[in-house]
Amino acid sequence: MDRNQLTKWIKSPGNMGHKYSLDVVYFCTGCGIIEIPPSITARWDAERFGVKPVATPRQANLFLITGYVSVKTLKAVIRTYEQMQEPKFAVGFGSCPINGGMYWDSYNTVNHLDKYIPIDGWIAGCMPRPEAIFIAVTHLWTLIDKEIADGYKRYRDKYKYYRANQEKVLGELEWPPLFPEDDKK
Amino acid sequence: MIVLEMLILVILALAIGVFFLGLSRKIMSRIHWRYGPPITQPIIDIIKLFNQDSVSHGSLFNFGIILSLAGSIVMVFFLPMGAMCPMSSSGGMLVILYIMLLGPLGLALSGGEAANPNISIGISRKFILALSYEVPLLLIFLAVMTHYGTISIVEIVKIQSANLWSFASLPLLLSGIAYLLILPALLGERPFELIKAPQEISSGPMAEYGGKFLALATLQHAFHTFVGISLFVNLFLGGASNPGYFFLKMLVVFILLIFVNAVFPRFRIDQAIKYLWKWPTLLAFIGLIIVVIVD
Repeated sequence: MDRNQLTKWIKSPGNMGHKYSLDVVYFCTGCGIIEIPPSITARWDAERFGVKPVATPRQANLFLITGYVSVKTLKAVIRTYEQMQEPKFAVGFGSCPINGGMYWDSYNTVNHLDKYIPIDGWIAGCMPRPEAIFIAVTHLWTLIDKEIADGYKRYRDKYKYYRANQEKVLGELEWPPLFPEDDKK
Repeated sequence: MIVLEMLILVILALAIGVFFLGLSRKIMSRIHWRYGPPITQPIIDIIKLFNQDSVSHGSLFNFGIILSLAGSIVMVFFLPMGAMCPMSSSGGMLVILYIMLLGPLGLALSGGEAANPNISIGISRKFILALSYEVPLLLIFLAVMTHYGTISIVEIVKIQSANLWSFASLPLLLSGIAYLLILPALLGERPFELIKAPQEISSGPMAEYGGKFLALATLQHAFHTFVGISLFVNLFLGGASNPGYFFLKMLVVFILLIFVNAVFPRFRIDQAIKYLWKWPTLLAFIGLIIVVIVD
């Protein structure tokens, strides 16, 4: 942990700030949320890494999707992701958002979450232990350091692709596009 | 010269307020049997928030948060810290009574523009709470003003340094206790945390703030914490001759506040009004009567 290295702070305060102050909005879609309370309370204290739960997506910069994503919750996931302020990072927790997990053949769940919103990293397992969250956080630090945690940039560049995928599942979307067409060159 | 003094005072107040935010998180986590974030965590948060994008909901949304922050900063000038008090000749306690409402008012203006129902609930709670703690606060101020016969805080500090602290002298003891009882409500700390209440109304007035707005709101909270505690130290603990001693006194009061914050659950808004209009008001009223009789 290079949190106390002053030279790095002077060189790139923004990057270091994003690394060591991750405000998380936990999306309680499925059983994965049961691993969050032990990780933010006394047993595995997430706050020592600067990871803190917040109440609204506006204040957050890390989005943790814990568990399977049904078609109905996909709508809420997309809206929450679009309300967050850039730079923002999204992490899928558990095997269900990765490829459907044990619900792979369900008629009502989304199998690959990264078709609908850009994901910066995955925590595999069913269920991952709370320690896996901290491993994910340290990996995310490395990604932010190398500036390859660029999911929000991908979302901006390939918005047409994501929007088309979202519309394929959800039908006509009720909200206007986040990045309208005429902005593009 | 006055400008320089103002600048130093603002920087000192900011440093102390941000340090208190970090200290509160550290002490709270030690009480929860956790290791807790580093004490510099609020600084890291503020740096991050200033580097983040933010979405605005209109010009009043921007103006309100700045008004709120400005109201908190201006109050710092009227409170002597050690020997420093750039605005010592004017105003005193009456000005503080007026400016104290600028903070909630700015947040209300800003939140009204965002039209989020959580914000409306938070703002209405904030004003109801302000209504309930202003009554005992006015009585306390009246008692102090009557006892010392002046509205100037610098004068009050001078008299206290010559005699006893007013917290230790009998006529003002009850008023001091009443101020300690309303201090958590003044600062929005835990028994009266119902304004923010992240679990109920998703952090209330802050619900639409992200990025730079949240950074400004955090700074406002830091200044407000400084002002609330510094007022108590000046009026009841005799102020101080130098800033270091003043900071020590503030630290003691703040740690007391954190302990209360750590162990108590949250009041509902009706319970908060009932409590604030019963015990602190009663104590402050008896204190005022004692002051009138003694003098």
